[in-house]
Amino acid sequence: MLTTADLVSLLAAVAKGDQAAFERLYAATRAKLYGVILRILRRPDLADEVMQETYLKIWNAAGQFNPGVASPITWMVAIARNRAIDLARKKADVSAEEIPEVLELAAETSDPLAVRERSEELERLLGCLGRLDPDQRRLLLLAYYNGMSREQLAAKFDRPVNTIKTWLRRSILAVRECLGS
Amino acid sequence: MTIDQDRDVLAAEYVLGTLEPDERQQAEALIRSDVGFAALVRGWEQRLGELNATIPSVEPPPEVFERIRRGLAVAPSSGQIIALDAMRARLRGWRSFGTTMAALAAALAAVLVTSLVRPELMPTRLRPKPQVVEVVRTIEKPTDAAGRLVAVLQKDASSPAFILTVDIEKRTMTVRRVAAEEQAGKSYELWLVSKQFAKPRSLGLVGAQEFTTGATLATYQPDTISDATYAISLEPEGGSPTGEPTGPVLWGGKLIETLPPTQPRR
Repeated sequence: MLTTADLVSLLAAVAKGDQAAFERLYAATRAKLYGVILRILRRPDLADEVMQETYLKIWNAAGQFNPGVASPITWMVAIARNRAIDLARKKADVSAEEIPEVLELAAETSDPLAVRERSEELERLLGCLGRLDPDQRRLLLLAYYNGMSREQLAAKFDRPVNTIKTWLRRSILAVRECLGS
Repeated sequence: MTIDQDRDVLAAEYVLGTLEPDERQQAEALIRSDVGFAALVRGWEQRLGELNATIPSVEPPPEVFERIRRGLAVAPSSGQIIALDAMRARLRGWRSFGTTMAALAAALAAVLVTSLVRPELMPTRLRPKPQVVEVVRTIEKPTDAAGRLVAVLQKDASSPAFILTVDIEKRTMTVRRVAAEEQAGKSYELWLVSKQFAKPRSLGLVGAQEFTTGATLATYQPDTISDATYAISLEPEGGSPTGEPTGPVLWGGKLIETLPPTQPRR
């Protein structure tokens, strides 16, 4: 298990073109990133594609990583999520119908509270999410975990897209206020 | 509702992924151009990123890394690009032009390269992100390259769509399609965006063939041509009905010289 500091120094080495460091970085982070990507795309073929794009991007952009503003894994997951969401939107018409019920269900039942080791920050975030209206909490989690678009969320909650927009805004501001600055 | 709240919500929705595609593009342009907004996005990535710990890991198939490794072998990244020496390109280093260029890159996400590093040698997905400006200089000075400027028009690092080459002396240009696909009932239109004009000026349509050449720059001053931002929008077939971009501006970029500034111009 690599520490955050290990990942920071691996990224620094990767920025200099160190392929061995890149391999170690991949080994340490691949399962987390794949889990994130697969949950959004739900199709292994697409997830594989995004994995490649993500790690090539990490290879190319490692020099831009700033440990002062982000943790390495957060930075890497953000890259992976952005790529996965971009692809999910492009394939929206396909994947919306192809989501197998089982996966859908599995994604739904994911419970952040089930995680045993929780950082202080995660505790705070979960506390703030817990103060939201249950539907709005679910909305945020489905968006973050599953990369659902407003339309998909609207269908899921059987509400107009505008209502979803309002809910998103309200819950974002509530979380922001709850977490403070 | 305050503007600050709007920006914060936009940043959070960008991170959540719930923005519409056009809003998402705007947010990405803001991230590149607006340090404050970029910081808001980083903040939400960090805040919501706490949830990453709750996402179960899944082991990817082993062949994924094989493909990534093969990608690295041709990746023009970091030290490796020096291997392109053989192709007369030499990397001086990834270098940001600083705030000026960042601001210019902002609206249209430009990555600039010289035409001497032939784009087909650089796999599209391996290109650096738009906020990075590639400075590539030639070792052998081609005899016909003086006064030639090039812009790669792209939306993001993985999609260079057009390469614009301008001969500043003759004021002619060539647009080369790289990855942009023909869309039924639509035309790609090239625009010149300059501080000197209140609105973008049309430079004409980009043809369906690989290369489109034109002399529509002839009426512009060399300074205007070299300082302008070039953009391509998707318009109704036959071009914008209003004379201004009506469709989405999909690609943009700035020109860069194909020779180092210290080289004497012929």
